[in-house]
Parts: sequence; structure tokens; C-alpha cells
Amino acid sequence: MISFRNIHKSFGPKNVLQGVSFDVHDGEVFFIIGASGVGKSVLIKHLVGLLYPDQGEIWLDGQEISRFDELQMMAVRRKCAMVFQHSTLFDSMTCAQNVALPLRKHKNLKGRSAEHEAIKLLEKVHMEAFADRFPAELGDGMRKRVAIARALTLDPQYILFDEPTTSLDPVNARRVDKLIRELSDTLGVTSIVVSHDLVSIFGIADRIVMLYKGQVRLLGTREEFRNTTDGVVEQFTNGYAEGPMDL
Amino acid sequence: MSLASPHAAQESLTFRIGKNLFDMSEVAGGMAVLLVRVLWRIARANFDWNEFKTNMYKMGVKSTPIVVVTALFVGAIAVIQAAPMVQQYGAYGLLGWGAGFSVLRELGPLLTALMISGRVGANNTAELGTMVVTEQIDALRILAIDPLGFLIAPRLLAIVLTLVIANIYADALALFGAAIASKAMLGVEYGVFLNGLTSGLLNFGDVAHGLIKSAFFGLMMAIASCYFGLAVKGGAPGVGRAVNAGVVASATGIFILDYFVSFIIG
Ligand SMILES: Nc1ncnc2c1ncn2[C@@H]1O[C@H](COP(=O)(O)OP(=O)(O)OP(=O)(O)O)[C@@H](O)[C@H]1O
Ligand SMILES: [Mg+2]
Repeated sequence: MISFRNIHKSFGPKNVLQGVSFDVHDGEVFFIIGASGVGKSVLIKHLVGLLYPDQGEIWLDGQEISRFDELQMMAVRRKCAMVFQHSTLFDSMTCAQNVALPLRKHKNLKGRSAEHEAIKLLEKVHMEAFADRFPAELGDGMRKRVAIARALTLDPQYILFDEPTTSLDPVNARRVDKLIRELSDTLGVTSIVVSHDLVSIFGIADRIVMLYKGQVRLLGTREEFRNTTDGVVEQFTNGYAEGPMDL
Repeated sequence: MSLASPHAAQESLTFRIGKNLFDMSEVAGGMAVLLVRVLWRIARANFDWNEFKTNMYKMGVKSTPIVVVTALFVGAIAVIQAAPMVQQYGAYGLLGWGAGFSVLRELGPLLTALMISGRVGANNTAELGTMVVTEQIDALRILAIDPLGFLIAPRLLAIVLTLVIANIYADALALFGAAIASKAMLGVEYGVFLNGLTSGLLNFGDVAHGLIKSAFFGLMMAIASCYFGLAVKGGAPGVGRAVNAGVVASATGIFILDYFVSFIIG
């Protein structure tokens, strides 16, 4: 279980997170939504030690991890994978080598068998045909799918997806949705998904949290989000240009 | 406070000198810490062989042409500078010794290091800096891979080895260049040149002197280029500034080390 408790984070004078608290239960597909710049990426980076909170606690499986050092974080990262918003593949390596790297490093697979495993993972995101291409030769959406394959390598218990379907075509976007749902349903993987994609959100979310002005605005199921009377949430989830939202 | 701030003009000279000294000691301290952490990983063999091999090829093998050309000319230049003196005193027999002494102990290591710094050091800073701004370093950390062991340790090792090895063949080529220049300009026979080189005035100590320097220059260049690469902030302009700072710091450090190492190992 993941638990954010009263997280505060500022960058200089800019207060991004101002007391965010919520729990994510094991095995669920949990969405984080909110306007651009509200701090969604910042929040999930706290979970893997890329950022540290100014105040507040983060609990992961009964451990308070927000004061962990780099070495202790390595253990956290092995069970908590992340797909970055900008994919961040290693551009000196081919797609297959990107996916094979964690296999070589952590599962002690040697060249051939690591690449073989990597191709199998690329098949899950329908990218096996591009195994020998370099990231610079691919489009955004393709890179993102390779990054998803790379995040699956260490059989993580938790996966953080930062906008996994942004810049994907609708077919591949729904395939990624399906993959996330299946990981949860068949392997019990917990997914935290940052997304603006309404089809994903209302298609596969178990629960959703909306951040607004550095705090939790609404936490609930898809139904609760559909039936809300909160004008801000309504405006956001329906994409109205006019409304009470203050951006 | 940046120089662009409205108060910049009002900052006193002492303040600015103090600030610069402070910045410099921060950089020197940062490099020292990085060096210790990387050496610790090398000592525990915690580094990536694939990265090491790739970098050995990229840094070592690919540097060969510039080292060959520079070395040949350096030897020849040493002879040109010595020529008037040699002719005046008729000291043709000492030409081999003179060229050998300056090339092995000073010119070989120093010029090889500066040439490779411009090529390998700058490239290294740019590559690491780009990895920082595109979050590739964070991506490594997320995969529970230690960036110092995976990226920095192999690069440090590759740079030091590249420099030492390049210095060995740069020495040989520079002396070859010197022999040719001696023959072409002063009519000194190869046998006479070789005799001056091997008559006992030069020994293995002179070669070792140069190689030890090369190893130190390699460490300096590796740490400076990695440090500034990893410290990049702020996108492409940040990478540009880092490459700049890295090359300047490497060159400055190399000259300072040259003085101290020469002084200490005599
Ligand atoms: N390293 C940093 N240094 C300074 N400010 C930062 C840093 N990282 C994020 N910020 C600021 O924090 C705020 C939140 O950024 P974040 O990337 O989390 O937004 P987001 O909710 O993910 O938006 P988007 O939907 O556009 O990805 C932004 O205003 C950004 O400028
Ligand atoms: Mg974001």
C-alpha cells in the first residue's frame, strides 16, 4: 500500500504541493488528474526518490520512505517502476538494448538471453518490429511504448505511469489501457497513472484523485466523478472552456 | 546572486573575489567527492564492462588520428626550436637526447592530454549533460542502476587508460618525427640521433615520469568533464556552459598538476 501524508513541496517561491494526502490500495488502477502544472509529475517522483518532500510522509508497504538515502531507495525502485512523461530512453542504445539493460543488471541475463526477453516485452506493447531501432528514429508514441516495456522488466509490484497514452494513436492508447488493466487484474500490479486522457480515465480507473491548487480536490471512483456536483471537477472532467476553474 | 542582477554593479570587488573563490572551492570540493565515490566503485569492480568497452573504442581508438598527427609535429617542432643552438655549438650528438628529454618528460604528456581533452573531455561533458537534461540519468536511477558505477566509473577508467596508452605511442611518434626533422633540416643521420637518444642520458625513469603525468592528467580530465556534465542545469544552454567550464577546468587543472607532479617526482 502507498500512502501520501500531508506532502508539501516548493521550488523556490513556488508552492507546488500544499498538503496532499491520499492512499493507494494494492492491486488497484489509480489515476491522478489535474491541470497542467498542478504537480502531478512532481508528486509521483517523490515515491521513487527523484524528489524529496519539504514536509510530510510517504509510506510504502509499512515503511516511511521519504527520508531514505540513495542506497535504500534502490530497493524501493526495484519494486516500484516508473514510466516518465518524456519516455527518457537511453539514446545511445537500441530499443531492445534499452529494455535489456535492467535485465542484464538485475537478473544477470547475458547478451543473447537478455535481448530475447526484451523482445518478448516489446511484443506486449506491439513494438517488437522496432527492436533494432534507436529511440531518435521513433515517434513520441512509439518511444513511450518502449519505455513501458522497459518499466515491466523487473516484475514491479507498483508501476507509476506519467501520461502513458499521451501522443499515442487511439488504437495503441486503448492497447496500453488494456495492458494496465490486465497487469492489475492478472498479476495484482498496482498502477498509479497520471493522465489527461478522458477515455482512459473513465475506461479503466478504479479510483481517481484530482489535484487542484496544490491539494486534493476530489478522491473517488469513476461513478463519484461522473456524479459530482463540484463545479471545478465537472469543468475539468468534461473539458469545458468556461467555468469556475482558476488555472 | 547572478551577475545579471540589478545589484551586480554595486557588488564590491572584494565581494566578487570572495564569491569567485567560494565558487572555485565548491567546484574543487565537488570534484574531490566525485573522485572518491567513483574510485570506490572501481575498487569494488562495480562498473559496467559494456560501457567501458564502448568508451575505450570511442575515446581511445577514435583519438588515434589526432594524436598521431600532433605527435609527429611536436617532435619536429622540438628539433626546429633546438636547431640554431645545435648548429652554433655543433652539438649534433645531443639532438636525440634533447628531443627525447623534452618529449618524454613534458611535451608528450602535456600535448597529448590537451588534444584529447578537446576531443574526449568536451564530448564526455556534452554527452553526460544531455543525459541529465533529458532525464536519462534519472531513468537509470529509477531502474535501480547506480549512474556512478554504470556511467562514470567506466568513463574515468577509459579516459585514464586512453591517455596513458596514447602517451606511449605519442612518445614514439614524436621521436620519430624529431628524427626525420633532424635529418631533413640538419642532416643528422638516424644513427646519430638514435645514439643520442640511447646513450644513457635518458632512461626508463624519463618515460615513467611522462606516463605518471599522463595518468594524473587523465584523472583530472575525467573528473572535470564528468563533474561539469553531471552538474548541468537548464537545457541546451546549460550543456554549452558545462562543456565550456569542463574544458577550461581540465586544461587549468592539467597545467597545475603538471607543475606539482614534475616537482614531486622530480
Ligand atoms: N525541478 C524543478 N525545479 C523547479 N520547478 C519545478 C521542477 N519540477 C517541477 N517544477 C514546477 O512544478 C510545477 C508542477 O510541475 P509538474 O511537472 O508536476 O506538473 P504536471 O502536473 O505534471 O503538469 P503536466 O500535466 O503539464 O505534466 C510546475 O510549475 C513546474 O514548473
Ligand atoms: Mg507532468
